[in-house]
Amino acid sequence: MVMGATGSKLEKALGDQFPEGERYFGLENFGNTCYCNSVLQALYFCVPFREQLLEYYANNKNVGEAEENLLTCLADLFNQINSSKKKTGVIAPKRFVQRVKKQNELFRSYMHQDAHEFLNFLLNELVDILEKEANVKDSPGTSSQSEKIANGSSHLHVNGVQKEPQITWIHKSFQGLLTNETRCLRCETVTARDETFFDLSVDIEQNSSITSCLKNFSSTETLNAEDKFFCDKCCSLQEAQKRMKIKKPPNVLVIHLKRFKYIEQLGRYKKLSYRVVFPLELKLSDTLENADAEYSLFAVVVHVGSGPNHGHYISLVKSHNHWLLFDDENVDIFDESAVQTFFGSAQEYSSNTDHGYILFYENLGGRS
Amino acid sequence: MHRVASAGNTSNSTRPRKEKRLTYVLKDTDDTKHCAGINCLSVLKSSSSSCDYLFTGSRDGTLKRWAIADQASCFATFESHVDWVNDVVLAGNTLVSCSSDTTVKVWNSLSDGVCTRTLRQHSDYVTCLAAVEKNSNVVSSGGLGGEVFIWDIEAAVLPVAKSTDVMDDEGSNKLINSGNYGLPMTSLRSVTSSNMSVNNAQSHGYNPTAAKGHKESVYALAMNDSGTLLVSGGTEKVIRVWDPRTGSKNMKLRGHTDNIRALLLDSTGRFCLSGSSDSMIRLWDLGQQRCVHSYSVHTDSVWALASTPSFSHVYSGGRDLSLYLTDLSTRESILLCTNEQPVLQLALQDDGIWVATTDSSVHRWPAEGSHPQKVFQRGGSFLAGNLSFSRARAVLEGSTPAPVYKEPLFTIPGIPAIVQHEILNNRRQVLTKDTAGSVKLWEITRGVVIEDYGKISFEDKKKELFEMVSIPAWFTMDTRLGSLSIHLDTPQCFSAEMYAADLNISGAPEDLKINLAQETLRGLLAHWISKRRQRSGSQTFNCDGIPGRDMPSRSISHSRVDADDSTENHHLVLPAFEFSTVSPPSIITEDSQGCSWRKKITELDGSQDEKDIPWWCLDCVLNGRITPKETTKCSFYLHPCEGSNVQVLTQGKLSAPRILRVHKVVNYVIEKMVLDKPLEGGNPDGQFGLVPGTGQSQLASLGDSSLRALKSWQKRKPSIEILCNNQVLSPDMSLATVRAYIWKKSEDLVLNYRVVQNR
Repeated sequence: MVMGATGSKLEKALGDQFPEGERYFGLENFGNTCYCNSVLQALYFCVPFREQLLEYYANNKNVGEAEENLLTCLADLFNQINSSKKKTGVIAPKRFVQRVKKQNELFRSYMHQDAHEFLNFLLNELVDILEKEANVKDSPGTSSQSEKIANGSSHLHVNGVQKEPQITWIHKSFQGLLTNETRCLRCETVTARDETFFDLSVDIEQNSSITSCLKNFSSTETLNAEDKFFCDKCCSLQEAQKRMKIKKPPNVLVIHLKRFKYIEQLGRYKKLSYRVVFPLELKLSDTLENADAEYSLFAVVVHVGSGPNHGHYISLVKSHNHWLLFDDENVDIFDESAVQTFFGSAQEYSSNTDHGYILFYENLGGRS
Repeated sequence: MHRVASAGNTSNSTRPRKEKRLTYVLKDTDDTKHCAGINCLSVLKSSSSSCDYLFTGSRDGTLKRWAIADQASCFATFESHVDWVNDVVLAGNTLVSCSSDTTVKVWNSLSDGVCTRTLRQHSDYVTCLAAVEKNSNVVSSGGLGGEVFIWDIEAAVLPVAKSTDVMDDEGSNKLINSGNYGLPMTSLRSVTSSNMSVNNAQSHGYNPTAAKGHKESVYALAMNDSGTLLVSGGTEKVIRVWDPRTGSKNMKLRGHTDNIRALLLDSTGRFCLSGSSDSMIRLWDLGQQRCVHSYSVHTDSVWALASTPSFSHVYSGGRDLSLYLTDLSTRESILLCTNEQPVLQLALQDDGIWVATTDSSVHRWPAEGSHPQKVFQRGGSFLAGNLSFSRARAVLEGSTPAPVYKEPLFTIPGIPAIVQHEILNNRRQVLTKDTAGSVKLWEITRGVVIEDYGKISFEDKKKELFEMVSIPAWFTMDTRLGSLSIHLDTPQCFSAEMYAADLNISGAPEDLKINLAQETLRGLLAHWISKRRQRSGSQTFNCDGIPGRDMPSRSISHSRVDADDSTENHHLVLPAFEFSTVSPPSIITEDSQGCSWRKKITELDGSQDEKDIPWWCLDCVLNGRITPKETTKCSFYLHPCEGSNVQVLTQGKLSAPRILRVHKVVNYVIEKMVLDKPLEGGNPDGQFGLVPGTGQSQLASLGDSSLRALKSWQKRKPSIEILCNNQVLSPDMSLATVRAYIWKKSEDLVLNYRVVQNR
C-alpha cells in the first residue's frame, strides 16, 4: 500500500483534533472510476450505512468461502479502511471495481460514467442481495432481520427500485415514501398512489435553491388539453390536478440535481451549471403530509467539468464537524464556508465548473 | 397509471384520425329517460296558462324537455351532441346547450328536437353558459383552456347578409358599446372574421366576442339581467369581471382558495355569489370590488347555486350531497334535504326546486322560493361561519342537522348509468354494471340486454362467463355516456369472423363465414339503406349511384369489378344483424368537415350521403367490400403424433380461417386417409386442398361434398383426434382458440393427429 505525503499532511493539519477511531483514506482511480470513488466516500461517511455494513461484515466473515458479490466486496472494502492501522492513506478498491464491471456492462468501459446512475445501481444491487439472503434464511423458518411491510399497499417505485416484500437495512436508511395524488377537476375524487424512493431527482433552475426545487417537485401539475386524466368515476377524460408529496421522509435523504439535461435542439445532453443553493441544514415542510423533518448535509458528490460526457467526480464529506474533500487518492481538509463554491454559477459561462450533483442529508430526528 | 394521454384514448380525441370512425351508442330504454347523470337544468316559464317546461341536459349527450304539471312527462329529446351536455340556458324560446364535444348548440326549445345551429368556436370542452334575462340574443360560453365567448345567438344563426337586420333589432341596440368602439358588436365581429377557423364554417362568417385573458380553465359563468356584466370563475381561483359587449376586463376578485364552480349575479349586477371547491360560498360587492360575506355552509365543494329573485337567499348544493338554504343578510342557514348523489345544478320553479345530481333522475324538492323565511320557521337552522371548513369541523363535532324535507315532491326517473364493463372473449357480449349495482349482459351485435342478473358481484359473474375462445378485438368501447359506445375503426373492425351456423342464421350454408363488423354495419344502416332506396325510386340499389367525391377513387372505380358474386349473393340471402327499433342505437361519426354528428339509426332518412358517413362503411354495406385482413387467417402445421404409425399427410405449412373448428381438421385428416386423393378443388400438385402459406383456398371449403359418406365411414372405422402441446383438443375449438390458450406461442401453430381406437 502506498503511503503518500497526503496522509501525514492531513494528520498534521488535524493534529489532536483527528477523530478517534476515524480513518480518512483516498481511493485509487482505475481509469475513470472517480464516479465510483466519489459515491463510495459519501456512503462510507454515511454513518448508519457504514455501521450496518461493518456489522454485516462481522456476521459474515466466518461463513467461509461464501460466494463473492457486490455486498461482500463493499463490506470487505469498508472493513479494510475501518480496520487499518494507519489513520490515513490510499486504498485500491480493485476487487470492488472489478465486481461492478463484471455485474454491469454499463460500467465496464473506461468511459465517463454517471455517479447518480452508479449510486442507484449499487443500492438496488445491495438490496437484491440482502433480500435473497433473507429469503434463504426465511425458508427454513429461522427468524430474519427483515420485516414484512405492514400493509400490502401497492408499492411502486421511482428511480428503478424493484418491487420487494422486505425492508432491509438499506431501506431503513434510504427509503422514503412519496404519495402521488390526482384529483379529477370534475368529480373532485382524489386518487392516491404511494411510491417508494431511494433518492429524489429534482429539476433545477438558475439561481434557485434546493428548497425551491423541492417545492417545484411537489407542486401541482394540471393534466389538461391533450393530456387529460381518465377518471374512473366520470368514465371519461377530464382535467385533473396532480401532485407529489413526501409522505414518509427517509433517514438519509439523497437529492440528485438533474444537471444533465437533454436539449432537443442540440440532440444531445448538456450540463446545466445553474447556481442551486443547498443549505447545510434543510427543513422539509412544504413537501410533507404531516410533521416537519430537519436534515443536515453530510456529503456532496461534485461533478467537475463543463460537459456531461467528460469531467471528474470528487466528494465533500462532513465527518466529526470537519469538512473533507476526497479527490480519488487525495484527501484534504476543507473549510465549511467554501462549500458554497459548489453551488454553481449564475452566469452561463464560468471558469468554475465544480458543481454539487448528489446531496446526502441525514435526518436529525431520525438518528435513533 | 390512471393517467391516459388523449392520443391513447381515442374516444375523446379531437385529433384527425387516419380514417373516420363510426360509433354506435346502445340504449336499454325508450326515449323518455336519461341514462346518465344530469349536468344541467333550465325552466321555461309559460307566458300563458299552459304548463311550464323543464329542460334537462345529461351526461348521456342528450337534452330533454319535460312538461311540468302534476307529473313530468317527456315531450322531446334533443339529440345531436356526441359527448356530455354540460350546461343549458334559455334565451327566450331558444335553447342553448354546451358539451364536452367542444360545441355549443342552438335549438328551437319547443320543437321536437331541432338543432338550428352548431357553434364551433371552442377547442376544448365547453363547461358553462350564461344568458341575459332581458336580451334573449346574448349568451356566453366558457370552457377548458380558458376560452370564453359571447355570442349574439340571432346573428350566429342567421346568414351574414342578414346581420344588418339584427343591428336594428331592439335588443341588439342595447349592446352598442358606449366605450372604445363606436360600432355595435355584431357588425364589428362580422368585419373581423378573417381569422375564422375551418371549424367555424357553419357559423356563416359570424365570430363571437372573445373574453381573452384567462390563464386556466373556466368552470362557471354568470351575466346580469341587462347584459352589461359577465363574471367567470375557474381553476385560477379568481373571479374575473368582464364587459360582455366588448370582451374587455373590468376587475379580478380574489378570495377563494380552490376552483370556482358556480356563479350568480343579481339583476342589477351589483352583487355576485360564488361557490367553490374550497367549500365556501362568497358574496361579492362588485361596486366595492371586495368580498362582503363568506359563508361556510357546506362540508365539501359547492357546485351549484340558485338565488331567490330578490337575491336575499341562496340555495346551494355540492359534493356533500346536501342542499342548503342560506339567508344572505342574517347568515342563517338550514339543511333543506340530502340527496343520494352530489348536486350538480339547481333550478327554482315556483315553490319548488329542481335538483340535478350525478344520478340520472331529477328530483323536485319543496323550497318555498317566494317565502324562504317560512322554511326557517321549521327550526333547525344554524349560523354560517366565515372560515373555510369551519362547517366541516362543526359537523365532525357532531352537530349534523336533520334535513327539513325527507322526500322529494316528485322524481323524474332515469336509467342508472353504466359504470363498469367487460368485453367477453366471444367479442359479441359485454358484461356491465350500473350505478344501481345491476349486472347485465349485452349482445352488442343486436344492441340488446340478453340477461339481467340483478344486483350480484360483477367480478364473480365475469369469472363465471369466462370462455376459452379467441376472437380478434374488432371494436373498442367506452361508457362515458352512461351507456355502451361501440367504436368501429377500419380496417381492424373487419378482423372478426364467425360461421353463419354458429350465429343461428337459418338457410345459410354451414360454412358461410360472417364478418361481424360488416353485418353490424348492415344492421345499423338498414334503415338508411331502405330510405335511400325509396328516395332513388323503386329500382334496386345501385353501386354506381354513389357519387365518389369523398371516397378514395380506387374503391369507386373498382367497386363493380371487384364485388364478386359470392359476396353479392350472400348479402341478398342473409339478414343483417337486427337492432331494436323500440330503443334504437344512435350512430356517431364525422362529416367531411370533421364535425361529429349523432343520430338515431331510425332517424336516418336517407338524405345523409357519402359526405356524412365514412366511405369505408358505405363500401361495406353497399358494395359488400371490406378491407381484407390477414389476421382472419391462421397458419399451422399438421404432423402425426410421435410414435403414431399413421402415414404422413403433408409437411407443408397450411392456412385456414382462424375460426376453423378442430373437427374440420379431423375431417380433413380422415378424408385424406380414406380417400387418399386430392380433395375437390385441391391443387393439382397434391396439396390436399390446402395451400401452403397464404393461399386463397381455405380448409373451410373442404368436406361438404363427401361429408355424408364420411359420417357412415366414421361409424365403422377408428376415429382421429387432434392434439396440440400433447393436449387432446375439443372438436369445437377454433384454430384461434387453440393458438391462444393451448399453443401460447407466437410461432406458427403445430397440430398433431392420431388414431383413436373405438371402444
